[in-house]
Amino acid sequence: MEGVAAPVVAPGLHTTMWRQLYVVVKKDVVNELRTKEMLLSMFLFVVLAMVIFHFAFSVRAHTDLTYFTGGMLWVTFIFGALLGLNRSFAHEKDEGCLDGLLLCPVDRVTIFLAKMIGNLIFLLVIQALAVPVFSLFFVSRSYLSDLPAFLAVLLLADLGVCSVGTLLATISMNTKARDLLLPIVFLPLIIPVLIAATLATTAIFAQTASLGSLGSKLLFLAAYDGIFMLAAYGTYDYALGE
Amino acid sequence: MAEIEVSNISKVFGRRDVLRDVEFAVEEGGFLSIMGPNGAGKTTTLRILATLLTPTSGSVRVAGLNLSDDPMPVRRVIGFISHQPLLYPDLTAYENLRFYAEMYGVPDRERRIAELLDRVELSHRRYDQVRTFSKGMTQRLAIARALVHRPRVLLLDEPYSGLDPHAVDILDGLLAEIRAEHTFVMVSHSISKTLELSDQVLIMDGGRIVFRQSGTVDEGHFAAVYREHVSEGVTI
Repeated sequence: MEGVAAPVVAPGLHTTMWRQLYVVVKKDVVNELRTKEMLLSMFLFVVLAMVIFHFAFSVRAHTDLTYFTGGMLWVTFIFGALLGLNRSFAHEKDEGCLDGLLLCPVDRVTIFLAKMIGNLIFLLVIQALAVPVFSLFFVSRSYLSDLPAFLAVLLLADLGVCSVGTLLATISMNTKARDLLLPIVFLPLIIPVLIAATLATTAIFAQTASLGSLGSKLLFLAAYDGIFMLAAYGTYDYALGE
Repeated sequence: MAEIEVSNISKVFGRRDVLRDVEFAVEEGGFLSIMGPNGAGKTTTLRILATLLTPTSGSVRVAGLNLSDDPMPVRRVIGFISHQPLLYPDLTAYENLRFYAEMYGVPDRERRIAELLDRVELSHRRYDQVRTFSKGMTQRLAIARALVHRPRVLLLDEPYSGLDPHAVDILDGLLAEIRAEHTFVMVSHSISKTLELSDQVLIMDGGRIVFRQSGTVDEGHFAAVYREHVSEGVTI
């Protein structure tokens, strides 16, 4: 019984934003590893999309698909990410756990960052599994020398997808038609990321990337990420709603 | 100074006035119960106190802190027990308590978690997922969750709802044990529990306080007043 009724005044609670960020991300990762709801659905979708692309574009043997690869890859990833984003708040909302999280002395921006990092981790895991398979199916030239540039494109584009997606998933979770609303608002907003990531990825796969053109795409993606993170910082309190 | 001071709060959702000029105070160590029919504004009042909602007008002070100025320190002194457990079903009992203890920055976490699991008689299930718990066990763990950071103020939203007799006994025991050192606000539909625990009772209807009583309350009189406002579902 000791301790239950113990100190009731100023219990000396101490934590930091970084600690809370880590705790929420860890909780989401452990939760996901146990249920595998997001990872499994995203992985299955991505693999199936690749199989469908493979058959859809195999009209003639030995067709060079290099100039379609960037588009195929990013369309697959964006729709795959959408599946994960739709689920990312579902367990919080469905079990009423969001109230538990909001009752904690945690800044709302920390919740956004934690959720965004969680979504980013899951997307990167899927990409780590899917990109080698995709390369095997569709990429005829080796792009090992451009691997750092490709990883930079992946990371910056993923940040854009996850920052916009997390913000919009938060807004849509409070609506009845959240499964419908998220794609409707997310897909138009993600078009700039899709264009920049597709152009950069295609150039890398086709071995036509110049430092200047790749640099401008990466700069554009970084700016996009910055703008939407700032937007989330300013609006997340309202996005969480009442 | 009162531990909780609610001054003329109103809450509007869209065009609907959910709360109208609600005003009350609870002294340190006091136990206030709020009763009333469904849609009376009881839970909205409690959620405003818990910083989950902001009032449209009026002000709320908890432990001397103004909710509108900075809700963060208020959250450190509030514990919230709802009829929803606010627990992650795929995490274990231990992982749930650890998560909340870390979010609040509770010192000596392992000891605190062990004490609470012991108190709610769930030590033997500490590594089991909450998904496998019965409703009563889940609610007992929810009580431990609400107490993990040693809050000064406990907000109880129909805490007895759906509890088995064993869980009711544990909740009664816990409330009796911590009664003197905490300030309570409880929303309930049970007249007998309300009168047994409270030193101040409010009845709300249509977003307003329509009856208030402090000190000893005559059960028969109170039940009659309550029936005036709630035509059905009265539990005594």
